[in-house]
Amino acid sequence: MDKTVGPSEMILQIGPQHPMLFGPWRLNVKLRGETVVDSEIEMGYIHKGIEKILENKTYLQGITIMDRICYLEAMTNEEVYVGCVEKLAGIEVPERAQYIRVIIEELSRIQSHLLAMGEYAEFVGFVTMFMYTIRDREDLMSLIDSLTGARVTHSFLRYGGVKDDLPDGFKEDAKYVFGNLRKAVDKYEELFSTDSIYKARTKGVGVLTADVAKDLGVCGPPLRATGFAFDVRKDEPYLVYKDLDFKVCTHTDGDVYARVQVRLDEMRESMHIVEQCLDQIPNGPIFPENTPYGKRSPVMRVPPGEVFHRVEAPRGEMGMYMVSDGSDKPYRVKVRGPVYPTLQTLPPLIKGVQVADIVAIAGSMDTCTSEVDR
Amino acid sequence: MDANSIISSLTGKFPEDIYDASVESDIRIVAKVKPENVVEVCRYLKEDLSFGHLCCELGADYPDRNEIETVYIIGSYDHPVVITMKALLPRDNPEIESIVAVYWNANWYERETYEMYGVKYLNHPDLKPLLLPEELHGEWPWRKDYKGFPNKTARNLV
Repeated sequence: MDKTVGPSEMILQIGPQHPMLFGPWRLNVKLRGETVVDSEIEMGYIHKGIEKILENKTYLQGITIMDRICYLEAMTNEEVYVGCVEKLAGIEVPERAQYIRVIIEELSRIQSHLLAMGEYAEFVGFVTMFMYTIRDREDLMSLIDSLTGARVTHSFLRYGGVKDDLPDGFKEDAKYVFGNLRKAVDKYEELFSTDSIYKARTKGVGVLTADVAKDLGVCGPPLRATGFAFDVRKDEPYLVYKDLDFKVCTHTDGDVYARVQVRLDEMRESMHIVEQCLDQIPNGPIFPENTPYGKRSPVMRVPPGEVFHRVEAPRGEMGMYMVSDGSDKPYRVKVRGPVYPTLQTLPPLIKGVQVADIVAIAGSMDTCTSEVDR
Repeated sequence: MDANSIISSLTGKFPEDIYDASVESDIRIVAKVKPENVVEVCRYLKEDLSFGHLCCELGADYPDRNEIETVYIIGSYDHPVVITMKALLPRDNPEIESIVAVYWNANWYERETYEMYGVKYLNHPDLKPLLLPEELHGEWPWRKDYKGFPNKTARNLV
Protein backbone atom coordinates (compact mmCIF):
# COMPACT_ATOMS: atom_id res chain seq x y z
CA MET A 1 0.00 0.00 0.00
CA ASP A 2 1.25 3.44 -0.88
CA LYS A 3 1.54 5.34 2.41
CA THR A 4 1.33 8.83 0.90
CA VAL A 5 -2.03 10.46 1.49
CA GLY A 6 -3.71 12.96 -0.79
CA PRO A 7 -6.15 15.72 0.15
CA SER A 8 -9.09 14.49 2.29
CA GLU A 9 -7.41 11.11 2.71
CA MET A 10 -6.17 9.47 5.89
CA ILE A 11 -4.68 6.17 7.03
CA LEU A 12 -6.63 4.39 9.75
CA GLN A 13 -4.87 1.63 11.65
CA ILE A 14 -7.25 -1.01 12.95
CA GLY A 15 -5.59 -3.33 15.43
CA PRO A 16 -3.57 -5.23 16.58
CA GLN A 17 -6.07 -5.08 19.44
CA HIS A 18 -9.57 -4.12 18.44
CA PRO A 19 -13.03 -5.49 19.34
CA MET A 20 -13.67 -6.30 15.70
CA LEU A 21 -10.60 -8.47 15.31
CA PHE A 22 -10.56 -12.13 16.27
CA GLY A 23 -7.01 -12.37 17.53
CA PRO A 24 -4.24 -9.87 17.01
CA TRP A 25 -3.61 -8.65 13.49
CA ARG A 26 -3.49 -5.26 11.93
CA LEU A 27 -5.39 -3.77 9.09
CA ASN A 28 -4.13 -0.48 7.71
CA VAL A 29 -6.79 1.19 5.59
CA LYS A 30 -6.43 4.30 3.53
CA LEU A 31 -9.68 6.24 3.55
CA ARG A 32 -11.10 8.99 1.42
CA GLY A 33 -13.93 10.25 3.56
CA GLU A 34 -15.65 7.04 4.66
CA THR A 35 -14.64 5.01 1.64
CA VAL A 36 -11.75 2.55 1.59
CA VAL A 37 -9.23 3.39 -1.11
CA ASP A 38 -6.55 0.85 -0.30
CA SER A 39 -5.65 -1.49 2.52
CA GLU A 40 -2.91 -3.72 3.81
CA ILE A 41 -2.75 -6.54 6.34
CA GLU A 42 0.06 -7.06 8.84
CA MET A 43 0.34 -10.51 10.37
CA GLY A 44 2.69 -12.21 12.79
CA TYR A 45 1.57 -11.00 16.20
CA ILE A 46 1.03 -14.54 17.49
CA HIS A 47 3.46 -16.52 15.38
CA LYS A 48 4.28 -19.62 17.41
CA GLY A 49 6.41 -21.57 14.95
CA ILE A 50 4.22 -24.64 15.25
CA GLU A 51 5.66 -26.27 12.13
CA LYS A 52 9.17 -26.01 13.57
CA ILE A 53 7.95 -27.24 16.96
CA LEU A 54 6.39 -30.28 15.29
CA GLU A 55 9.75 -31.14 13.71
CA ASN A 56 11.17 -31.45 17.22
CA LYS A 57 8.35 -33.45 18.82
CA THR A 58 7.67 -37.16 18.51
CA TYR A 59 4.61 -38.23 16.61
CA LEU A 60 2.57 -38.80 19.77
CA GLN A 61 3.47 -35.38 21.18
CA GLY A 62 2.55 -33.81 17.87
CA ILE A 63 -1.15 -34.57 18.34
CA THR A 64 -1.24 -32.26 21.35
CA ILE A 65 0.52 -29.48 19.47
CA MET A 66 -1.90 -29.70 16.53
CA ASP A 67 -4.80 -28.85 18.84
CA ARG A 68 -3.18 -25.53 19.63
CA ILE A 69 -3.22 -24.22 16.08
CA CYS A 70 -6.80 -23.12 16.53
CA TYR A 71 -9.01 -24.33 19.31
CA LEU A 72 -12.19 -24.18 17.27
CA GLU A 73 -10.81 -26.55 14.68
CA ALA A 74 -8.94 -28.75 17.13
CA MET A 75 -10.53 -32.01 16.00
CA THR A 76 -9.97 -31.53 12.27
CA ASN A 77 -6.43 -30.37 12.93
CA GLU A 78 -5.77 -33.62 14.74
CA GLU A 79 -7.46 -35.55 11.97
CA VAL A 80 -5.21 -34.14 9.27
CA TYR A 81 -2.04 -34.84 11.26
CA VAL A 82 -3.08 -38.33 12.26
CA GLY A 83 -4.34 -39.01 8.73
CA CYS A 84 -0.93 -38.08 7.28
CA VAL A 85 0.89 -40.47 9.58
CA GLU A 86 -1.64 -43.24 8.93
CA LYS A 87 -1.15 -42.83 5.19
CA LEU A 88 2.64 -42.90 5.54
CA ALA A 89 2.69 -45.89 7.87
CA GLY A 90 -0.18 -47.73 6.17
CA ILE A 91 -2.30 -48.06 9.31
CA GLU A 92 -5.90 -49.19 8.82
CA VAL A 93 -8.46 -47.59 11.10
CA PRO A 94 -11.25 -49.90 12.37
CA GLU A 95 -14.70 -48.93 11.22
CA ARG A 96 -16.06 -48.09 14.65
CA ALA A 97 -13.18 -45.71 15.27
CA GLN A 98 -13.83 -44.02 11.92
CA TYR A 99 -17.46 -43.45 12.88
CA ILE A 100 -16.46 -41.99 16.25
CA ARG A 101 -14.07 -39.65 14.47
CA VAL A 102 -16.78 -38.46 12.11
CA ILE A 103 -19.14 -37.88 15.05
CA ILE A 104 -16.68 -35.79 17.03
CA GLU A 105 -15.52 -33.84 13.98
CA GLU A 106 -19.05 -32.94 12.96
CA LEU A 107 -19.89 -31.93 16.53
CA SER A 108 -16.88 -29.68 16.52
CA ARG A 109 -17.95 -28.21 13.18
CA ILE A 110 -21.29 -27.22 14.72
CA GLN A 111 -19.71 -25.56 17.74
CA SER A 112 -17.25 -23.70 15.52
CA HIS A 113 -20.06 -22.38 13.32
CA LEU A 114 -22.05 -21.36 16.39
CA LEU A 115 -19.21 -19.31 17.81
CA ALA A 116 -18.36 -17.87 14.40
CA MET A 117 -21.93 -16.76 13.90
CA GLY A 118 -22.16 -15.25 17.36
CA GLU A 119 -18.97 -13.25 16.89
CA TYR A 120 -20.03 -12.12 13.48
CA ALA A 121 -23.46 -11.01 14.73
CA GLU A 122 -21.70 -9.01 17.40
CA PHE A 123 -19.57 -7.28 14.76
CA VAL A 124 -22.61 -6.12 12.84
CA GLY A 125 -24.19 -4.77 16.01
CA PHE A 126 -26.40 -7.70 16.98
CA VAL A 127 -24.91 -8.35 20.43
CA THR A 128 -27.83 -10.33 21.82
CA MET A 129 -27.24 -12.97 19.17
CA PHE A 130 -23.81 -13.68 20.65
CA MET A 131 -25.45 -14.51 23.98
CA TYR A 132 -27.91 -16.85 22.26
CA THR A 133 -25.27 -18.80 20.36
CA ILE A 134 -22.94 -19.08 23.33
CA ARG A 135 -25.79 -20.38 25.48
CA ASP A 136 -26.80 -22.99 22.91
CA ARG A 137 -23.19 -23.94 22.27
CA GLU A 138 -22.73 -24.84 25.93
CA ASP A 139 -24.84 -28.03 25.70
CA LEU A 140 -22.83 -29.08 22.71
CA MET A 141 -19.57 -28.46 24.54
CA SER A 142 -20.77 -30.70 27.38
CA LEU A 143 -21.54 -33.40 24.81
CA ILE A 144 -18.05 -33.10 23.34
CA ASP A 145 -16.62 -33.06 26.86
CA SER A 146 -18.43 -36.29 27.73
CA LEU A 147 -16.75 -38.04 24.80
CA THR A 148 -13.25 -36.57 24.73
CA GLY A 149 -12.78 -35.43 28.31
CA ALA A 150 -11.91 -31.88 27.29
CA ARG A 151 -13.82 -28.91 26.02
CA VAL A 152 -11.45 -27.34 23.55
CA THR A 153 -8.07 -29.04 23.25
CA HIS A 154 -9.02 -32.68 23.06
CA SER A 155 -5.92 -34.76 22.11
CA PHE A 156 -8.47 -37.44 21.32
CA LEU A 157 -7.23 -39.18 18.19
CA ARG A 158 -4.57 -41.87 18.14
CA TYR A 159 -2.73 -43.46 15.24
CA GLY A 160 -5.16 -46.09 14.04
CA GLY A 161 -8.03 -45.24 16.34
CA VAL A 162 -9.40 -43.02 19.05
CA LYS A 163 -8.64 -42.65 22.73
CA ASP A 164 -11.99 -43.73 24.13
CA ASP A 165 -15.22 -45.36 23.06
CA LEU A 166 -18.56 -43.56 23.16
CA PRO A 167 -19.80 -43.14 26.76
CA ASP A 168 -23.05 -44.76 27.93
CA GLY A 169 -26.14 -42.84 26.95
CA PHE A 170 -24.32 -40.74 24.37
CA LYS A 171 -26.99 -41.32 21.74
CA GLU A 172 -29.79 -40.12 24.02
CA ASP A 173 -27.77 -37.09 25.09
CA ALA A 174 -27.06 -36.22 21.48
CA LYS A 175 -30.74 -36.56 20.59
CA TYR A 176 -31.69 -34.19 23.42
CA VAL A 177 -29.04 -31.60 22.49
CA PHE A 178 -29.91 -31.72 18.79
CA GLY A 179 -33.61 -31.31 19.54
CA ASN A 180 -32.87 -28.02 21.26
CA LEU A 181 -30.27 -26.99 18.73
CA ARG A 182 -32.56 -27.53 15.73
CA LYS A 183 -35.09 -25.17 17.28
CA ALA A 184 -32.30 -22.69 18.02
CA VAL A 185 -30.98 -22.77 14.45
CA ASP A 186 -34.48 -22.19 13.12
CA LYS A 187 -34.80 -19.25 15.46
CA TYR A 188 -31.50 -17.75 14.31
CA GLU A 189 -32.58 -18.06 10.72
CA GLU A 190 -35.85 -16.35 11.50
CA LEU A 191 -34.04 -13.56 13.37
CA PHE A 192 -31.64 -13.02 10.50
CA SER A 193 -34.25 -13.15 7.76
CA THR A 194 -36.79 -10.85 9.42
CA ASP A 195 -34.53 -8.09 10.69
CA SER A 196 -34.61 -5.36 8.06
CA ILE A 197 -31.64 -3.42 9.48
CA TYR A 198 -29.53 -6.56 9.48
CA LYS A 199 -30.51 -7.36 5.90
CA ALA A 200 -29.72 -3.83 4.78
CA ARG A 201 -26.25 -4.17 6.27
CA THR A 202 -25.47 -7.59 4.80
CA LYS A 203 -27.32 -8.16 1.51
CA GLY A 204 -25.19 -7.26 -1.47
CA VAL A 205 -22.18 -6.42 0.72
CA GLY A 206 -18.79 -8.00 0.03
CA VAL A 207 -19.96 -9.94 -3.00
CA LEU A 208 -17.68 -12.65 -4.37
CA THR A 209 -18.54 -14.43 -7.59
CA ALA A 210 -17.58 -18.06 -8.03
CA ASP A 211 -14.91 -17.34 -10.64
CA VAL A 212 -13.26 -14.62 -8.57
CA ALA A 213 -13.42 -16.75 -5.42
CA LYS A 214 -11.76 -19.68 -7.18
CA ASP A 215 -9.13 -17.40 -8.63
CA LEU A 216 -8.33 -15.94 -5.23
CA GLY A 217 -8.12 -19.40 -3.64
CA VAL A 218 -11.01 -18.94 -1.20
CA CYS A 219 -12.31 -22.18 0.28
CA GLY A 220 -14.93 -23.38 2.73
CA PRO A 221 -18.23 -21.59 3.44
CA PRO A 222 -17.22 -18.35 1.63
CA LEU A 223 -16.64 -20.36 -1.56
CA ARG A 224 -19.80 -22.42 -1.15
CA ALA A 225 -21.78 -19.22 -0.63
CA THR A 226 -20.95 -18.28 -4.21
CA GLY A 227 -22.79 -21.34 -5.48
CA PHE A 228 -19.78 -23.54 -6.15
CA ALA A 229 -20.03 -26.85 -4.27
CA PHE A 230 -16.48 -27.68 -3.27
CA ASP A 231 -16.19 -29.81 -0.17
CA VAL A 232 -13.30 -32.17 0.59
CA ARG A 233 -15.74 -34.55 2.30
CA LYS A 234 -17.40 -35.10 -1.09
CA ASP A 235 -14.57 -34.50 -3.53
CA GLU A 236 -11.87 -36.47 -1.75
CA PRO A 237 -13.72 -38.58 0.84
CA TYR A 238 -11.81 -39.64 3.93
CA LEU A 239 -13.03 -41.74 6.88
CA VAL A 240 -16.56 -43.04 6.21
CA TYR A 241 -17.96 -39.94 4.51
CA LYS A 242 -18.57 -41.81 1.28
CA ASP A 243 -21.06 -44.09 3.08
CA LEU A 244 -23.00 -41.22 4.58
CA ASP A 245 -25.87 -39.32 3.05
CA PHE A 246 -25.34 -35.57 3.18
CA LYS A 247 -25.41 -32.69 0.78
CA VAL A 248 -22.98 -29.83 0.27
CA CYS A 249 -24.74 -26.64 1.32
CA THR A 250 -24.49 -23.81 -1.17
CA HIS A 251 -26.03 -20.44 -1.72
CA THR A 252 -25.94 -18.35 -4.86
CA ASP A 253 -25.52 -14.74 -3.80
CA GLY A 254 -21.93 -14.79 -2.57
CA ASP A 255 -22.48 -11.89 -0.18
CA VAL A 256 -22.17 -11.59 3.59
CA TYR A 257 -25.74 -12.76 4.12
CA ALA A 258 -25.18 -15.89 2.03
CA ARG A 259 -22.09 -16.92 3.99
CA VAL A 260 -24.05 -16.92 7.21
CA GLN A 261 -26.87 -18.82 5.55
CA VAL A 262 -24.43 -21.51 4.40
CA ARG A 263 -23.18 -21.94 7.97
CA LEU A 264 -26.75 -22.29 9.26
CA ASP A 265 -27.48 -24.98 6.68
CA GLU A 266 -24.22 -26.77 7.42
CA MET A 267 -25.10 -27.02 11.10
CA ARG A 268 -28.33 -28.82 10.20
CA GLU A 269 -26.45 -31.07 7.80
CA SER A 270 -23.83 -31.90 10.45
CA MET A 271 -26.54 -32.87 12.91
CA HIS A 272 -28.00 -35.11 10.21
CA ILE A 273 -24.57 -36.75 9.71
CA VAL A 274 -24.07 -37.36 13.43
CA GLU A 275 -27.52 -38.95 13.74
CA GLN A 276 -26.79 -41.27 10.83
CA CYS A 277 -23.48 -42.25 12.40
CA LEU A 278 -25.11 -43.00 15.73
CA ASP A 279 -27.64 -45.24 13.96
CA GLN A 280 -25.15 -47.01 11.72
CA ILE A 281 -22.14 -47.33 14.00
CA PRO A 282 -21.00 -50.98 14.14
CA ASN A 283 -19.66 -52.77 17.19
CA GLY A 284 -16.04 -53.69 17.21
CA PRO A 285 -12.63 -52.52 18.32
CA ILE A 286 -11.72 -48.84 18.40
CA PHE A 287 -8.06 -49.59 17.89
CA PRO A 288 -6.42 -52.00 15.42
CA GLU A 289 -5.29 -55.22 17.05
CA ASN A 290 -2.27 -56.03 14.93
CA THR A 291 -0.31 -52.83 14.89
CA PRO A 292 3.34 -52.26 15.59
CA TYR A 293 2.39 -49.03 17.30
CA GLY A 294 0.82 -49.27 20.74
CA LYS A 295 -1.97 -46.94 21.71
CA ARG A 296 0.29 -44.82 23.87
CA SER A 297 3.62 -45.90 22.48
CA PRO A 298 6.00 -42.99 23.08
CA VAL A 299 8.37 -44.08 20.32
CA MET A 300 6.98 -44.70 16.90
CA ARG A 301 8.99 -44.79 13.72
CA VAL A 302 7.26 -43.97 10.48
CA PRO A 303 8.64 -45.23 7.15
CA PRO A 304 10.34 -42.57 5.02
CA GLY A 305 8.19 -40.85 2.46
CA GLU A 306 6.04 -37.81 1.92
CA VAL A 307 2.34 -37.29 1.76
CA PHE A 308 -0.25 -34.58 1.26
CA HIS A 309 -3.53 -35.14 3.04
CA ARG A 310 -6.52 -32.85 3.34
CA VAL A 311 -9.74 -32.75 5.29
CA GLU A 312 -12.69 -30.38 5.49
CA ALA A 313 -12.29 -28.18 8.56
CA PRO A 314 -15.19 -25.95 9.70
CA ARG A 315 -13.60 -23.05 7.83
CA GLY A 316 -12.64 -24.92 4.69
CA GLU A 317 -9.93 -27.09 3.28
CA MET A 318 -7.29 -28.05 5.84
CA GLY A 319 -4.27 -29.69 4.27
CA MET A 320 -0.99 -31.02 5.51
CA TYR A 321 2.21 -31.92 3.74
CA MET A 322 4.46 -34.20 5.76
CA VAL A 323 7.92 -35.56 5.04
CA SER A 324 9.21 -38.45 7.13
CA ASP A 325 12.83 -39.54 7.16
CA GLY A 326 12.24 -42.76 9.09
CA SER A 327 12.94 -41.37 12.54
CA ASP A 328 10.49 -40.87 15.38
CA LYS A 329 9.86 -37.24 14.44
CA PRO A 330 8.54 -35.74 11.21
CA TYR A 331 11.23 -34.14 9.03
CA ARG A 332 9.04 -31.37 7.65
CA VAL A 333 5.45 -30.46 8.31
CA LYS A 334 3.49 -27.82 6.46
CA VAL A 335 0.06 -26.83 7.68
CA ARG A 336 -2.14 -25.40 4.98
CA GLY A 337 -4.91 -23.70 6.88
CA PRO A 338 -8.16 -22.61 5.25
CA VAL A 339 -7.98 -19.05 6.60
CA TYR A 340 -4.55 -18.32 5.17
CA PRO A 341 -5.78 -17.77 1.59
CA THR A 342 -9.14 -16.39 2.73
CA LEU A 343 -7.63 -13.60 4.78
CA GLN A 344 -5.46 -12.54 1.83
CA THR A 345 -8.60 -11.72 -0.14
CA LEU A 346 -9.69 -9.07 2.33
CA PRO A 347 -7.82 -6.08 0.77
CA PRO A 348 -9.34 -6.54 -2.72
CA LEU A 349 -12.72 -7.31 -1.19
CA ILE A 350 -12.97 -4.20 0.96
CA LYS A 351 -11.81 -1.80 -1.73
CA GLY A 352 -14.48 0.83 -2.26
CA VAL A 353 -16.71 -0.13 0.68
CA GLN A 354 -17.63 1.98 3.69
CA VAL A 355 -15.68 1.67 6.94
CA ALA A 356 -18.63 0.06 8.76
CA ASP A 357 -18.83 -2.68 6.15
CA ILE A 358 -15.21 -3.78 6.73
CA VAL A 359 -16.36 -5.33 9.98
CA ALA A 360 -19.26 -7.18 8.38
CA ILE A 361 -17.12 -8.54 5.56
CA ALA A 362 -14.20 -9.60 7.75
CA GLY A 363 -16.56 -11.17 10.28
CA SER A 364 -18.42 -13.18 7.68
CA MET A 365 -15.15 -14.75 6.50
CA ASP A 366 -14.75 -16.36 9.96
CA THR A 367 -11.02 -15.84 10.08
CA CYS A 368 -8.64 -17.01 12.76
CA THR A 369 -5.28 -15.32 13.23
CA SER A 370 -3.87 -18.11 15.31
CA GLU A 371 -4.16 -20.43 12.36
CA VAL A 372 -2.64 -18.00 9.88
CA ASP A 373 0.36 -17.24 12.08
CA ARG A 374 0.69 -20.81 13.40
CA MET B 1 -9.18 -36.49 -16.50
CA ASP B 2 -7.18 -39.14 -14.67
CA ALA B 3 -3.68 -39.11 -13.26
CA ASN B 4 -2.01 -41.00 -16.11
CA SER B 5 -3.34 -38.77 -18.86
CA ILE B 6 -2.32 -35.69 -16.89
CA ILE B 7 1.23 -36.96 -16.54
CA SER B 8 1.54 -37.85 -20.22
CA SER B 9 0.14 -34.47 -21.22
CA LEU B 10 2.54 -32.66 -18.91
CA THR B 11 5.66 -34.58 -19.91
CA GLY B 12 4.66 -34.37 -23.57
CA LYS B 13 4.41 -30.59 -23.39
CA PHE B 14 7.55 -30.06 -21.26
CA PRO B 15 9.91 -32.98 -21.98
CA GLU B 16 12.93 -30.94 -20.83
CA ASP B 17 11.51 -29.31 -17.74
CA ILE B 18 9.51 -32.06 -16.03
CA TYR B 19 11.43 -35.05 -14.73
CA ASP B 20 10.93 -37.86 -12.18
CA ALA B 21 7.18 -37.68 -12.76
CA SER B 22 5.18 -40.55 -11.33
CA VAL B 23 1.70 -41.51 -10.20
CA GLU B 24 1.46 -42.21 -6.49
CA SER B 25 -2.23 -43.10 -6.43
CA ASP B 26 -5.37 -42.30 -8.43
CA ILE B 27 -5.46 -38.81 -7.03
CA ARG B 28 -1.82 -37.95 -6.36
CA ILE B 29 0.97 -37.09 -8.81
CA VAL B 30 4.54 -36.16 -7.93
CA ALA B 31 6.95 -34.48 -10.31
CA LYS B 32 10.07 -32.36 -10.32
CA VAL B 33 10.43 -29.22 -12.37
CA LYS B 34 13.42 -27.22 -13.56
CA PRO B 35 13.37 -23.90 -11.68
CA GLU B 36 13.83 -21.79 -14.83
CA ASN B 37 10.48 -22.70 -16.35
CA VAL B 38 8.24 -23.06 -13.33
CA VAL B 39 5.94 -20.21 -14.40
CA GLU B 40 5.24 -21.68 -17.83
CA VAL B 41 4.56 -25.09 -16.30
CA CYS B 42 2.20 -23.58 -13.74
CA ARG B 43 0.39 -21.61 -16.41
CA TYR B 44 -0.05 -24.75 -18.50
CA LEU B 45 -1.32 -26.64 -15.45
CA LYS B 46 -3.84 -23.93 -14.69
CA GLU B 47 -5.10 -23.14 -18.16
CA ASP B 48 -4.96 -26.48 -19.97
CA LEU B 49 -5.16 -29.12 -17.25
CA SER B 50 -7.60 -27.18 -15.00
CA PHE B 51 -5.37 -27.18 -11.93
CA GLY B 52 -6.92 -23.97 -10.69
CA HIS B 53 -6.50 -24.34 -6.97
CA LEU B 54 -3.11 -23.74 -5.35
CA CYS B 55 -3.35 -25.73 -2.11
CA CYS B 56 -0.05 -24.45 -0.83
CA GLU B 57 3.51 -23.60 -1.59
CA LEU B 58 6.30 -24.32 0.84
CA GLY B 59 10.00 -24.70 1.35
CA ALA B 60 11.93 -27.64 2.75
CA ASP B 61 15.58 -27.73 3.69
CA TYR B 62 17.89 -30.67 2.92
CA PRO B 63 21.39 -29.77 4.14
CA ASP B 64 22.87 -33.21 3.33
CA ARG B 65 22.00 -32.72 -0.36
CA ASN B 66 22.82 -29.01 -0.09
CA GLU B 67 19.45 -28.18 -1.57
CA ILE B 68 16.32 -26.27 -0.70
CA GLU B 69 13.12 -27.51 -2.24
CA THR B 70 10.22 -25.30 -3.19
CA VAL B 71 7.16 -27.50 -3.26
CA TYR B 72 4.00 -26.53 -5.13
CA ILE B 73 0.90 -28.46 -4.20
CA ILE B 74 -1.78 -27.75 -6.75
CA GLY B 75 -5.28 -29.16 -6.78
CA SER B 76 -8.26 -28.70 -9.01
CA TYR B 77 -11.91 -27.77 -8.73
CA ASP B 78 -12.88 -30.04 -11.63
CA HIS B 79 -11.05 -33.31 -10.99
CA PRO B 80 -9.73 -34.89 -7.78
CA VAL B 81 -6.05 -35.10 -8.76
CA VAL B 82 -3.50 -33.16 -6.71
CA ILE B 83 -0.01 -32.62 -8.08
CA THR B 84 3.03 -32.17 -5.84
CA MET B 85 5.68 -30.42 -7.87
CA LYS B 86 9.15 -29.65 -6.61
CA ALA B 87 11.86 -27.32 -7.77
CA LEU B 88 15.34 -28.00 -6.37
CA LEU B 89 17.40 -24.90 -5.59
CA PRO B 90 21.02 -24.57 -4.46
CA ARG B 91 21.23 -23.87 -0.76
CA ASP B 92 23.72 -21.01 -0.89
CA ASN B 93 21.74 -18.89 -3.34
CA PRO B 94 18.13 -20.05 -3.74
CA GLU B 95 16.35 -18.02 -6.38
CA ILE B 96 13.24 -18.84 -8.36
CA GLU B 97 10.65 -17.02 -10.41
CA SER B 98 7.49 -16.08 -8.49
CA ILE B 99 4.20 -17.65 -9.57
CA VAL B 100 1.96 -14.89 -8.20
CA ALA B 101 1.13 -13.89 -11.75
CA VAL B 102 -0.48 -17.30 -12.25
CA TYR B 103 -1.81 -18.13 -8.79
CA TRP B 104 -2.83 -15.01 -6.92
CA ASN B 105 -2.82 -16.60 -3.46
CA ALA B 106 0.83 -17.69 -3.77
CA ASN B 107 1.67 -14.20 -2.52
CA TRP B 108 1.72 -14.94 1.21
CA TYR B 109 3.13 -18.45 0.77
CA GLU B 110 6.11 -17.01 -1.05
CA ARG B 111 6.61 -14.27 1.50
CA GLU B 112 6.61 -16.91 4.25
CA THR B 113 9.04 -19.18 2.43
CA TYR B 114 11.28 -16.18 1.83
CA GLU B 115 11.50 -15.16 5.47
CA MET B 116 11.83 -18.72 6.80
CA TYR B 117 14.20 -20.24 4.23
CA GLY B 118 15.68 -17.30 2.36
CA VAL B 119 14.30 -18.33 -1.03
CA LYS B 120 14.29 -15.24 -3.23
CA TYR B 121 11.24 -15.00 -5.48
CA LEU B 122 11.99 -12.93 -8.51
CA ASN B 123 9.28 -10.58 -9.79
CA HIS B 124 7.20 -10.99 -6.65
CA PRO B 125 4.96 -7.92 -6.19
CA ASP B 126 5.90 -7.27 -2.57
CA LEU B 127 8.56 -9.59 -1.18
CA LYS B 128 8.91 -8.74 2.51
CA PRO B 129 8.58 -10.73 5.76
CA LEU B 130 5.06 -11.79 6.67
CA LEU B 131 5.24 -13.31 10.15
CA LEU B 132 8.64 -12.61 11.64
CA PRO B 133 9.78 -9.41 13.35
CA GLU B 134 12.44 -7.29 11.67
CA GLU B 135 15.31 -8.39 13.89
CA LEU B 136 14.97 -11.99 12.74
CA HIS B 137 15.20 -11.08 9.08
CA GLY B 138 18.13 -12.80 7.44
CA GLU B 139 18.40 -15.59 10.02
CA TRP B 140 16.29 -18.04 7.93
CA PRO B 141 15.02 -19.75 11.09
CA TRP B 142 13.37 -22.82 9.56
CA ARG B 143 16.54 -24.07 7.94
CA LYS B 144 17.76 -27.24 9.59
CA ASP B 145 21.10 -25.81 10.72
CA TYR B 146 19.52 -22.89 12.57
CA LYS B 147 20.58 -23.07 16.19
CA GLY B 148 18.03 -20.76 17.79
CA PHE B 149 18.53 -17.13 18.57
CA PRO B 150 21.08 -17.17 21.37
CA ASN B 151 21.59 -13.42 21.51
CA LYS B 152 17.97 -12.47 21.06
CA THR B 153 16.14 -14.25 23.86
CA ALA B 154 14.93 -12.45 26.94
CA ARG B 155 17.31 -14.43 29.14
CA ASN B 156 20.35 -12.91 27.50
CA LEU B 157 18.99 -9.42 27.58
CA VAL B 158 18.60 -9.37 31.36
